[in-house]
Amino acid sequence: MTSLTTDPLLWILLVVLVAAVVAVMRARRTNMALRRTRKDLEAGLGQARGDVGQLHTHIAALTAQHQRDLADVRADAEASTKAVLKSAMGTLQSLAEEQQVLLDSLLRKYGDTTDVLADLMTVDHTGSQFGRRAKGISVLCGGWLGRREGAATVYDVARSAQGRIKDFDRVSVHSQVNVSLVGKAVEPVAVVLAELLDNATTYSAPGTPVEVNIQTVPTGVCYIVDDAGLGMDQETKDRAAALLSVDGPVDITGLGDPPRFGFAVCGMLAARYGFAVSVGSVSPYGGVRAVIRVPESLLSADTPAPAAGALDDQDAAAPEAAPQRLAPVPVVGPSHVVGTTSGGLPKRRRRSGSVTVVPAPDTAGQEGAAEPASEVTASRIGAFARGTQLGRTTQTTEGPDNQ
Amino acid sequence: MTRPGEEASVTSEFVRSYVITGGRSLPAADDLALHTLVTLAPERTPPLGAGPEVMAIWQLCAGGYLSVAEVAGHVGLPVGVARLLLTDLSEQGHLLRRAEPPRAQNVDRATLEKVLNGLQSLIG
Repeated sequence: MTSLTTDPLLWILLVVLVAAVVAVMRARRTNMALRRTRKDLEAGLGQARGDVGQLHTHIAALTAQHQRDLADVRADAEASTKAVLKSAMGTLQSLAEEQQVLLDSLLRKYGDTTDVLADLMTVDHTGSQFGRRAKGISVLCGGWLGRREGAATVYDVARSAQGRIKDFDRVSVHSQVNVSLVGKAVEPVAVVLAELLDNATTYSAPGTPVEVNIQTVPTGVCYIVDDAGLGMDQETKDRAAALLSVDGPVDITGLGDPPRFGFAVCGMLAARYGFAVSVGSVSPYGGVRAVIRVPESLLSADTPAPAAGALDDQDAAAPEAAPQRLAPVPVVGPSHVVGTTSGGLPKRRRRSGSVTVVPAPDTAGQEGAAEPASEVTASRIGAFARGTQLGRTTQTTEGPDNQ
Repeated sequence: MTRPGEEASVTSEFVRSYVITGGRSLPAADDLALHTLVTLAPERTPPLGAGPEVMAIWQLCAGGYLSVAEVAGHVGLPVGVARLLLTDLSEQGHLLRRAEPPRAQNVDRATLEKVLNGLQSLIG
């Protein structure tokens, strides 16, 4: 036993054992501490993940809010841009209209001076194109075209549209239809047709014809515009179809730079006034065929006079051309009403057959009471006065009855 | 959406004169002077595809001689434009024209003198 206690080996083993135990204990403690730390860290991580998730949700919410705000701001900006443009274009529109009215009077004033007249017509043409642009932009901004009083024939609407584009002389209008559009549809249809004609002439070779055919269909009247261009690719067709079927405000900032207003204007006006515009079919000449279909509700039964003031020779009926009578002067016995002029033009009855300037005696007698008879007499005498005066002053350079 | 009350009335000529001429250059003024008289040749039918203005001139001229200025005034066109349309009709042989007014017939001298006196007292 003593030997055992004195055995150094035993002591060494004991020391080693103790050391091992201590080491194990310490390792275990460290392990525990690490586990704790890990658990803490994992909890922290979980929390952090949760936070990140929350943050994501928050970001998403903020982004959505931002998008909404941005859309609102855009809409506001668009609306205020439109409001400004609408008002500016309104001013330009009325200036253009004013200019055209002025030109109307100038064209009459210088009607007999060929050179001036031709130049004025060039100015008029430029002005019409300008007016069309202003109207188009105005319409897109929610503005108005201006209203024509009274109906206009479908043919005149086509010719009016023709006058609003650059290459109007390439356009020919064919119409066998004798119907009219109601006043409120006149300008819109003319503007839309002008846009279609502008497209047709712009996207086809210079010098090629553009035809407008007007046909009746069971549901109304169709304007068919055919050009001899290259046609439209699918992308353009899709874009056109989208703009033409638009129902509501058009985003004017999305129309490109330079902006292409045409189809947007067409779509807008068609929706507003209730007619239909389609493009995309192929014309007989290989180009584009565009069709405006005007429903029966926009057609008018009235047939307007062929031209202003025309055919009013039988008139007393035309109020603005009412003859201006001069004071009665004695001619034969009782007094006669003599001379009728309006705006400097001698106004007189048409003579048919042999020329008679002598009033029948009984006509002269009842002149005071019978207004028509006195008018006939007056116009005859007016015509006679004019004739004699002309006969004295005219330098006769042509033989009679030059055909 | 449509409030017609907002729309201003538009009064300018609807069909512009350069469209009526088709962009063609205008004939010289001395071809058909202002006071040249024109009328429709007998037994003519209007040209095919005649526009409303040509038809108006046609009907206007059917009744007897009218001066170029009167025709322009009645159809409401600038004289130059009316002259172009009249030149067209004339070239197609539809128009008779003369520089002199048609002579009055079947009038006795006494009446003429009375009318002349009346006119003179009226004019000055």
